[in-house]
Amino acid sequence: MPDMTPVRRQRPHRRSLLAALGASGAAAVGLSFGLDGCAPSIRRGANGEEAKLNFYNWDTYVGKDTLAEFRQATGIDVNMSLFANNDELFAKLRAGNPGFDVIVPTNEFVTRLRLADLIVPLDHAKLPNFKNLLPEFQSTIFDPGRRYSIPYTWLVLGVGYRKSKVDGPPDTWKWLFDSDRYKGRISLFSEADDLIKLAAKYMGYSVRDVPDSLLPRIEAMFIRQKKNIRVFHEDNGQDLLLAGDVDIVLEYNGDIAQVMQEDDDLAFLVPREGTIIQSDGLCIPKGAPRPDNAHRFINFLLDPKVGAEISNTIMYPTPNAEVLKLMPDSYRNNTAIFPPADRMAKCEYGDFEGVERSRLFDELITRVKAA
Amino acid sequence: MTVRGDSRPKPGPLDYLSRWPLRLWVGATTLFLYAPLLTLIVFSFNQSRRNIVWRGFTLDYYVMVLQDASLLTAFANSLVIAAVSTALSLCLGAATALLLWRFRFPFKPALEGALSLPIVVPEICMGVALLVFFTKVVPWPTNLPWPLNLGAIIIAHVSFSFSFVASVVRARLASFNREEEEAARDLGASEWRTIIDVIVPHMRPALFAGGLLAFTLSLDDFVITFFTSGPDTITFPVKVFSMIRFSVTPEVNAASTLLIVITVALTAIGLRLQGADAGRDGHTG
Amino acid sequence: MAEQNEESWRKSPGLFAALLSAPTMFMFAFLLAPLAIIWGYSFGRNQGLTDIVVDGTFANYAHALNPLYLSILVKSFLFAVVTTVICLLVGFPVALAITFARPSTKPWLLLLIMLPFWTNLLIRTYALMAVLRTQGYVNGLLGFLWSLLAHLLSALHLGRLGAFAPLDLLYNNFAVILGLVYVQLPFMVLPLYSAMDRLDRSLLEASLDLGAGHLRTILQIVAPLAMPGIASGVMVTLIPSLGAFLTPELLGGVDSQMIANVIERQFKSANDWPFGAALSFLLMYMTFAAIALQALLGSRRRAA
Repeated sequence: MPDMTPVRRQRPHRRSLLAALGASGAAAVGLSFGLDGCAPSIRRGANGEEAKLNFYNWDTYVGKDTLAEFRQATGIDVNMSLFANNDELFAKLRAGNPGFDVIVPTNEFVTRLRLADLIVPLDHAKLPNFKNLLPEFQSTIFDPGRRYSIPYTWLVLGVGYRKSKVDGPPDTWKWLFDSDRYKGRISLFSEADDLIKLAAKYMGYSVRDVPDSLLPRIEAMFIRQKKNIRVFHEDNGQDLLLAGDVDIVLEYNGDIAQVMQEDDDLAFLVPREGTIIQSDGLCIPKGAPRPDNAHRFINFLLDPKVGAEISNTIMYPTPNAEVLKLMPDSYRNNTAIFPPADRMAKCEYGDFEGVERSRLFDELITRVKAA
Repeated sequence: MTVRGDSRPKPGPLDYLSRWPLRLWVGATTLFLYAPLLTLIVFSFNQSRRNIVWRGFTLDYYVMVLQDASLLTAFANSLVIAAVSTALSLCLGAATALLLWRFRFPFKPALEGALSLPIVVPEICMGVALLVFFTKVVPWPTNLPWPLNLGAIIIAHVSFSFSFVASVVRARLASFNREEEEAARDLGASEWRTIIDVIVPHMRPALFAGGLLAFTLSLDDFVITFFTSGPDTITFPVKVFSMIRFSVTPEVNAASTLLIVITVALTAIGLRLQGADAGRDGHTG
Repeated sequence: MAEQNEESWRKSPGLFAALLSAPTMFMFAFLLAPLAIIWGYSFGRNQGLTDIVVDGTFANYAHALNPLYLSILVKSFLFAVVTTVICLLVGFPVALAITFARPSTKPWLLLLIMLPFWTNLLIRTYALMAVLRTQGYVNGLLGFLWSLLAHLLSALHLGRLGAFAPLDLLYNNFAVILGLVYVQLPFMVLPLYSAMDRLDRSLLEASLDLGAGHLRTILQIVAPLAMPGIASGVMVTLIPSLGAFLTPELLGGVDSQMIANVIERQFKSANDWPFGAALSFLLMYMTFAAIALQALLGSRRRAA
């Protein structure tokens, strides 16, 4: 057994050291009680629940003042934690809800969570602002009657790029998936399902029911492409693009629209092969400690003014009709946020196709990442 | 023994540090170790969202840190976890050290082996084991009031730090002269009193060293806490990791600088109280 | 160790029981039990979306021994070895210099080298990111120097330099190894210093008096005598590098995954706990093997 103690060996001398440690420990505890001022007493709202909310959300996906405004309106403190992709969200909840009240999964994962019995039905009586939603979002294939989720945004995956560093707009998935033209300057999103379905789209297939025979080809293509990819990003592709670490990235339209505001050299497009439409929804996980607060928060987010502030910050397309009325033209006509109609015609909703399928997809991408 | 120190104008043959190649080497190594940390600290005062060009001095990001409620809560959590787990580690570690030093018993090698596990097992293995344990096997209730909800993390920290405390204390006990203990016994003290009045004072310096070690290990721990924490029980390093993953602004620099200052201050207190003569009596202990 | 102090537990069974109870209960409950459970899971399967059934299957280990994952294990081991070697080469002269420094400067030098060890690993890695990225400090400095050079050359009419191409220092294996060396170096220096400090100086002086050069003295006298310290330093650097998670996570590129990252992914996004458990245990076996090897070599040297 190697003697590890020399690493930490200190020469013992003084006796007041223990007293000093005791003092500093007591000071630490005292300081922390002071810092976390309301810790010993729990504030309760009128509904009997603690005046707090744990919100598990994507990064850069809420307005600058939204949470503060909610606190002002209701007295409820929102504590927002971040996750990088749906897989992470699912894994966190699967182990048992560690205390989240509201989560924001993408539509495929709404289905998955529902099948795994990890989310609870919503009480629409507590959601009067539901009527603000566009009709097509008030009931969808993956969640009829919106029993389990309320749409927060809708989104498309596309290509974010730096205009000065690419040869013309990269109008096809080929430059991200299947070419070394931008070797070392590419970054791909890391979510397994999306990568495989987009690869199928690139090869001319639908994103629904990707044929099994296609999977080995997809895997081989990604493994070939690996040497051209700089890094697999975890929902911070727009930061990498902005910082100049990469020049072409697979990202969501809203994220790129956000950084386009800071740098004129950046742009976004949906490739000609089309892409997946998705919709992120607000759900309440099973075992949420404060479901009433959760409903109040969701209803708050559906409010037109609140929604407008959120959309202004996060630059994602909104499914809320009342919010659209309040938005400026610069938002409604922004082709990064609302892709042109001919491209939208090529977009499809993805679908959760069973446990085995998604495990297969997961494994494929893990193999790609490990190759 | 007399080669160095006396001959100031003319360094002895073994005074390697006076030779320029070694000076250069040590200097370069120190530069390598400190440059990133120093740039991190310096640029926490930079008035610019992008970090490279210096645009002016500002304390804005420190203000942001001190106003960031989630960051402060995370910091409070870290301090409480560190304090409580250090206290528990000291008790368990001292008891273990005493046990191993004093007694001979049948399964002693097994115990020593088990004690070496936390030091040897990779952190990620401990982290996932505790994740599974606290979610599937013994679910730690999630709606306990603060600070009880930190219990799972505290236990996780104690389980990896009490072995370190035990080995430090045991090394110190090795130099204890049992005659002192026998003298106390002869004078009529009971077993328990002997321990408290004779052995524990001898252990004190090691208890301090072990305690400081346990405190710092807990404060800095990332991997094990990453797996065992939830939204209400985020610690400072886990929060900083989330900030690094997602939105890298100089606020991360400011938060990091604060953590550096605190750990360095604690170390400084510890080393100062021990006397900075670690090199002088290099042949004892 | 101090065996003259040991007595049989029967002599004071009360005290023995009192001291034994708390630590053993704690260890069983929170150390051995979790590890045993993970070990059990490694023989299990995923069932449905959330459950795991332990049925004694070896499928996970078979899957882990797939060349793909084996190659990651091998790569992790290689990274750890390279890191350790670099730390040894860099740290040995530093330890040497500190050992033979003046007594007044020695503690300061030690403090200087050890201080970074006391700062948080995450922060040290993040600091390195800012240094290495495309618009980081190194590239910034190089770009600045390049433009100076370009100005100089054009002023002297010696031709023109093209635009500065920033170096790719981040998100690749180079960054991971650099990061690992950066965080492990202080761990290597202290054991080396401890061992060298105990050396009998007269041996070295004798060697020098007899005409051996410094390099020879170091290689043939200091190194062998300091071998326990070297072994200790190697262990303390190799094992954490093998199980490193943060450094490859933050600094690595597509090809720089180490075993800890794959394990993390199994528990965090890929949702395959049994497989992750199997991989964890493979890592543990590798670690134990490394320690056993070191113990073996150590005892053989002592016997020799």
